[in-house]
Amino acid sequence: MSTTNRSAGNPGTQPSAGTSTASSSNPARLRPGSVRASMPLTGWRTVDLLTMVFLGAAFGIAYWGWGLAYRVPSEALGSAFAPISALTYGPWLLAGVVGGLVVRRPGAAFGCEVIAALVSMLPGTAWGADTLYSGIIEGLGAELVFAIFGYRAFGLVVAMLSGALSGFLESIWELYRFGYLSTWQGSWWVVYAACFVVSGVVLAGVLGWLLTRALARAGALNAFPPGQELRESRAV
Amino acid sequence: MTTASGGGRVEVRDLTWRPYGRRDPIIAGLDLDLAAGERLLLVGPSGSGKSTLLRALAGALEATASGDLSGSVTIDGAAPGARPGAVGLVLQEPGAGVVSATVGRDVAFGLENIGMPRADMPARVTSALAAVRLDLPQDTPTHALSGGEQQRLALAGALALEPSLLLLDEPTAMLDPVNAATVRDSVERVVTDRHLTTVVVEHKLGPWVAFADRILVLDADGRPVVDGDPATVLAEHGESLAAQGIWVPGFPAPQPRGIPDGVFTTSATGAGIVSLAARDVTVGRTVRRLDGSTRRSIAVADQSLEARAGQVHALVGPSGAGKSTLLLTLGGLLDHDSGTVAANHSLVPARHAATTNEADPRTWSTTEVAALVAWVPQWASSTIVAGTVLQEVMTTARALGQVEDEPLARARALLGVVGLAHLEQADPRHLSGGEQRRLAMVSAVVHQPEVLLADEATVGQDRLTWAAVMGIVEAMRDRGSAVVLTTHDEAVVERADRTTTITRPAQPPDPPAPRRPLVARCGPLALIGAAALAIPTGIIPAHWSVSLTVLAVQLALAVVGLSAPGRGPAPPRRVLGTALRMVPAAIGAVSVAWSTWLLGSRDLEVAATAGLRVLIIVLPSAVLIRYVDADALADHFGQLLRLPARLAVAIGAGLQRVHTFGDIWAEIARARRVRGIAARASSPRSVMAELWALTLGMLVRSLQAAAELAVAMDSRGFATARRRTWALRATWTRADLLLLVASCLPLAVALVASR
Repeated sequence: MSTTNRSAGNPGTQPSAGTSTASSSNPARLRPGSVRASMPLTGWRTVDLLTMVFLGAAFGIAYWGWGLAYRVPSEALGSAFAPISALTYGPWLLAGVVGGLVVRRPGAAFGCEVIAALVSMLPGTAWGADTLYSGIIEGLGAELVFAIFGYRAFGLVVAMLSGALSGFLESIWELYRFGYLSTWQGSWWVVYAACFVVSGVVLAGVLGWLLTRALARAGALNAFPPGQELRESRAV
Repeated sequence: MTTASGGGRVEVRDLTWRPYGRRDPIIAGLDLDLAAGERLLLVGPSGSGKSTLLRALAGALEATASGDLSGSVTIDGAAPGARPGAVGLVLQEPGAGVVSATVGRDVAFGLENIGMPRADMPARVTSALAAVRLDLPQDTPTHALSGGEQQRLALAGALALEPSLLLLDEPTAMLDPVNAATVRDSVERVVTDRHLTTVVVEHKLGPWVAFADRILVLDADGRPVVDGDPATVLAEHGESLAAQGIWVPGFPAPQPRGIPDGVFTTSATGAGIVSLAARDVTVGRTVRRLDGSTRRSIAVADQSLEARAGQVHALVGPSGAGKSTLLLTLGGLLDHDSGTVAANHSLVPARHAATTNEADPRTWSTTEVAALVAWVPQWASSTIVAGTVLQEVMTTARALGQVEDEPLARARALLGVVGLAHLEQADPRHLSGGEQRRLAMVSAVVHQPEVLLADEATVGQDRLTWAAVMGIVEAMRDRGSAVVLTTHDEAVVERADRTTTITRPAQPPDPPAPRRPLVARCGPLALIGAAALAIPTGIIPAHWSVSLTVLAVQLALAVVGLSAPGRGPAPPRRVLGTALRMVPAAIGAVSVAWSTWLLGSRDLEVAATAGLRVLIIVLPSAVLIRYVDADALADHFGQLLRLPARLAVAIGAGLQRVHTFGDIWAEIARARRVRGIAARASSPRSVMAELWALTLGMLVRSLQAAAELAVAMDSRGFATARRRTWALRATWTRADLLLLVASCLPLAVALVASR
């Protein structure tokens, strides 16, 4: 191991071997959502890979469940005004947001969402292989926001933006894919996209942020920056 | 076989480790030297950092936690990770480190990581399996192994890499005595043959004293306090070790902790009365895997078990005998196929008195069950439902609406007895394993249930936790509750009033392997690709008549693809499985057709086309995707798609375990029901709370599994496996090509017919 003391490192700058999360032993400097993954950001540890996959798989099962349950609220909303059924689509964007918030490496949000989509296909969904396309688009949306912030910021606002862009890209895709571009008028498109974005902000962004915090409090993220932020802020 | 003779010299210098969130280091300035071939038994009270030190020796401290680390660890002068696999690691929980679906592939995992040429692997795999005497076919599924076999498999996986240092983290703590002995014997044999330096962590010293030639004792703060040969250390310090909770050979079992009089109030149920009885119950167990295949076995066959008021009943038998299943069945927490489960009529809630199944607790509400039965699962952390220790132990009493003062006084008294009083306001999820076990016992009894069911309540625990658990058990008996314990522990059996021994029920003979459908011969990439082709196929048809033609072609192809020529029994659930997978699509098709009709000018033809489109897109997925195999997916992603190898392997290892998520979900749901806080259909808020708790609980458990697996994989060279080899070559076969060509046929029909 031949470790040297690197407790005084500046987050993200110490030349660690890519085996540790970035460290700052001064709790006062830890702003929630500010701790980056260890350098280099592309140096995925085994636990990063496995956590992305396991999270994705668990969300995949949940996606499948939501695929059965969502019809009740969705049809109810849709019967009032078709485009607002998109308000119920946010939960399908959760994996990307949570994967990004937890692992904090380039590709984590994308990978987590795509794996969730893949796993939800296994027991059989109402969309077949469309699920995979959607997963790729939603994952890209979530990933882009983390990338725009340079994989430095992982707070509530970034989580909400991540859910928003994920939902926006998917709404564009669905407008095209399901033929709404030809069957709906323009104002309906806008309502559909807006509802998808709102749902992404609340049901993926805020909910994903809460879920990440709950996981950290449960002690399940000790190997990750969110767990580190939580524990250093209340060191005993 | 080369041996590492002469290698395995360990030097630890000034090692300090402070995980974030703790003010004081767990390991502070530790120095340690091990000569090549030395066998060290590492002991200390719970929380002294034994496992942490073991992970430091493996170079794996920062694999699953972050913190400040300084000092050095070297093996033969090099860092532990310098030669992948130089340090072999076996973890406490059997199966925690399993990577692959089959035994042979799992052992080869480390060899792939070090980039060994494929041709050299079989010899190494065979010799490693032989060394641990695991003489099973190499294609045996890893999930079918017993706990002892899984531990020997982990040992074989380490041996394949020819380690010079072997680390064993309580390798037999979770096993029954027979399995534990096989694992210990395997360890002794391979360590002797290969002259390995070995470090063993165990609470129960007995079986390991003869094996070790040195004992190192850590105190509660992780400082080495005694170091010497086993005979001398035990003679001079045996008593103080036993007092710290370590199981020292030659010392009698501890006395259960006394619970002061008046903590519990006496039960109204007369002594000896049968409070709860299971008669002639048979419980089948169906493992349903994601591909739709099922494996059916018999967990319990025609067993009877009675819980008698004022008695402790020990349920014993080998692993796999069905003890835990019978216990759950007795509590009405698991469905049985035949037989009856009934509570004593005096304990049946009044509102059930008029119904026919009145006495079967399965039909009761969550609070009615909780008032009668308490259950302590083997995995104590899954019953945790509250944010503080005090809330946790008060949960059921509050759910039952008991007057606050009395259970609160009892809770505080019991927390004091088991040594958790100072942690009243702590988050229960941050306690140690032993503390969680004691907490689970207290949580189960504060509301004074008439029946206490405990599953392996003392397994893997130190003497102090043992005494606390047994103290509560006996106090419950003395107040007049019925207690049933499953156990392998002789000391527990000796204190029981009655003992029932059960054996593994005879299993139905394994059916001969069914024929394989044609599509099952295709690789995962072709299967996914063919499913994806359905999307353009579905979009193109603009009239329902074209859609119907395309769908008919798809159905004909499905019949061909699912046909299984050859001899042997037909593959199960081909049609039913496909039909079930089409249910969401059928609902979706109707819904799409309806909304299209509603919105789009009420044109029936347009609506039908839209609905059929859904079916065309989903049908190929419903037929094909179930035949995607996790191991094969990893192989094909890595070799044919050239995805980064470590990513591909991680995806395979994760998909391998998807089917365990359902079990975790069921266990947490069961724990909530028996604690009196399951969702009630009448209360949407309780349903939301339950969904949140189950989702979070499942995520926590799967992330813990991911962290354990990461440690196990890194100890087999995965962290540095940038240039991996693959034990099985993934090839693009003729079947794959044929499948893709066939899947283009409906697409072609759609194109031609639409012109």
